Amino acid sequence: MTIMEAPHATRRLTTSKAMVEAIAQEMERDPSVFYMGEDVGAYGGIFSSTTGLLEKFGPKRIIDTPISETAFIGLGIGAAVEGMRPIVELMFSDFMGVCLDQIYNHMAKIHFESGGNVKVPMVLTMAAGGGYSDGAQHSQCLWGTFAHLPGMKVVVPSSPADAKGLMTAAIRDDNPVVYVFHKGVMGLPWMVKNPRTVDEVPEDEYVVPIGRARVAREGSDVTVVTLSLSVHHALDVAEKLAPQGIEVEVIDLRSLVPLDREAILTSVGKTGRLVVVDEDYLSYGVSGEVVATVADVDPGLLVMPPQRVAVPDVPIPYAHDLEYAVLPRQDRIEKAIHSITTR
Amino acid sequence: MSSLVLFPPLSKETPDAEGVLATWFVSEGSTVVPDQLLAEVQVDKVAAEVPAPVAGVVHLLVAEEAVVRQGAPIARID
Amino acid sequence: MTTHASESTTAPAPRAPQAGEQQRPEPAVRAQLFETMVLCRTYEEAILREYHADKGPGFDIGKGLVPGEMHLSAGQEPVAAGICAHLTTSDAVTATHRPHHLAIAHGVDLHKMTAEIFGRETGLGRGRGGHMHLFDPDTHFSCSGIIAEGFPPALGQAFAFQRRGTDRIAVAVTGEGAANQGAFHESLNLAALWKLPVVFVVEDNDWAISVPRTASTGIASNADRAAAYGIPGHRVEDNDVEAVYAVAAEAVARARAGEGPSLIEVHTLRMWGHFEGDAQGYRPELAEVPSHDPIPRYEQQLRADGVLDEAKVAAIRDRATAKVEDAVAFAKGSPTPDPTLATDFVFA
Repeated sequence: MTIMEAPHATRRLTTSKAMVEAIAQEMERDPSVFYMGEDVGAYGGIFSSTTGLLEKFGPKRIIDTPISETAFIGLGIGAAVEGMRPIVELMFSDFMGVCLDQIYNHMAKIHFESGGNVKVPMVLTMAAGGGYSDGAQHSQCLWGTFAHLPGMKVVVPSSPADAKGLMTAAIRDDNPVVYVFHKGVMGLPWMVKNPRTVDEVPEDEYVVPIGRARVAREGSDVTVVTLSLSVHHALDVAEKLAPQGIEVEVIDLRSLVPLDREAILTSVGKTGRLVVVDEDYLSYGVSGEVVATVADVDPGLLVMPPQRVAVPDVPIPYAHDLEYAVLPRQDRIEKAIHSITTR
Repeated sequence: MSSLVLFPPLSKETPDAEGVLATWFVSEGSTVVPDQLLAEVQVDKVAAEVPAPVAGVVHLLVAEEAVVRQGAPIARID
Repeated sequence: MTTHASESTTAPAPRAPQAGEQQRPEPAVRAQLFETMVLCRTYEEAILREYHADKGPGFDIGKGLVPGEMHLSAGQEPVAAGICAHLTTSDAVTATHRPHHLAIAHGVDLHKMTAEIFGRETGLGRGRGGHMHLFDPDTHFSCSGIIAEGFPPALGQAFAFQRRGTDRIAVAVTGEGAANQGAFHESLNLAALWKLPVVFVVEDNDWAISVPRTASTGIASNADRAAAYGIPGHRVEDNDVEAVYAVAAEAVARARAGEGPSLIEVHTLRMWGHFEGDAQGYRPELAEVPSHDPIPRYEQQLRADGVLDEAKVAAIRDRATAKVEDAVAFAKGSPTPDPTLATDFVFA
């Protein structure tokens, strides 16, 4: 499902700068928007999620918090309930354990429990992902866990333009939106980056609708459904395989909740072959959900068994070679595609 | 009349420290305006943006991820 | 809206406070405190009756017009009455799984609240929340079944009130058992650090379900913990509604003046079980509990002081009964929610 956007003046930005630009533009437009989290002030966010914002908006709107996730995420909830639009940052998705109650029992449930009478228009941002040896407690994705718990939207941009568009949409949404940015897509100067983490970004106001996937590359032989950094890896593989006569269609999910099941079915209906690439854990998560999306409607759409390329059910190892053996990188993606397209 | 864009002096203690040209935001031969973001560079733990000093056509003198000494030219704007 | 007493002005003059006694509130205020407590108790007695009416034979917790867990606040009325007397419906109150007395004292609509407890479409949450998840945007009242976790959102409400330049405050209530939860400590620190207009209230009813305070808390009083966060802490003994009223006046004024949060711990009394169905075999002093009921004790005091007499008390009780039974009838007469719409209201 290709989103046709009106032409915008653009220039190239990294994903992190695009995300920051969206926040800045919304903060200018709406005085009730503010950003709160650990090291988001002078430091600009550990993964550059707020670089330059303190200078622009001051410490009353770009707020450093103590290391008290339960307290400050809950504070965001209360402020949202009273009509403000907080953006609250959980430094690493891995830290969800220390504050999950506020997230899934409060932020995600208040609207429902109040029969729709109370809204929680809050954005919960978080960095996720591995590939730079940060070990088992600092390399997880966990978006599948957030997506599994009802009551919060979940968006996962892969590209600079989507990072901006989805952030604008998330801030304007009256629901709680979990906005997960993979550290590897941010385009940080201190981390290995895929070239696609710097790309054209519309200069003015830009909104990408939540719940719509994007066809990142069209193809007729196999569908790769994926998200976040894995989109770039899938595109790398697609470029490599095209001269070999394998045309790979890459679907960038962009949102997990709502999930664009129609986009998945349309593509698989066309190609008959499915590879799901997900950097979250294999079992009980996103890749299973994508496969179920097809199986629930018509398993006959598939001419070969679906392939799931995910992190096997193991904590992410520290040593580089071990880590790269479990991440769903280009080599594993290519192998999965070959296994169902070799005629 | 062309202008050279230099790698900024991020480390004052070591003026000829080496850093990395981490990211080009413009491509070879594109037209730029003053203050437009050209590149992001890094020395040790400090990163910085490099804006265009003047308008013109930019020519990239170093590759992305190249190691560059502080003060060395990284681009030329004609 | 919080109701005001409409007592006549022919009450006898109150006796002057003896030396060493705290300054007593005006008679009208004292009568109102009593009336609020009576309304709370009358309500809980009605819910108790309705809850148990159809659970038998035996006790099937999922059965009947009011299914599920039920945590009633009999004995804890002094906390609600004493604190909420200083609030308007523009102030926020967050409560716990034992919320009814606070909701009532704060002015939550009794019809909608009761309908929610009965799981009806006309309830505060359209039957989606139930008795532990009452949300009333009109009075900024909310409660949560995860103890201590109501504190952080209360901070956020206070933050919003402060940002808008108002003198509105948030009152966050929890139990002595919950004061050992991380959220409690994080919230006290953050509220103190940012000088948020919050009043923290700990209802120490001695029991965290079946665990006495002596087995849960390393120090004698949570009011002492306040000092660790740099905020004032007061402990009220004896479930004394007027002592709560006095201490709350200070704490509320402090918050409204922008001076930051305070903590009030009230040694109160959980007269019934933790939940309905709790046999309380673990509770050695159970037989003496009724003798410590704060409402007859306060009634006696007010009669002795000439603030109330038999007729006035009867009128108060009648008013309470009428209000409560009217709310119960409204709830019972309301439609149950449509099961085909069970997945509605997840997102706005």
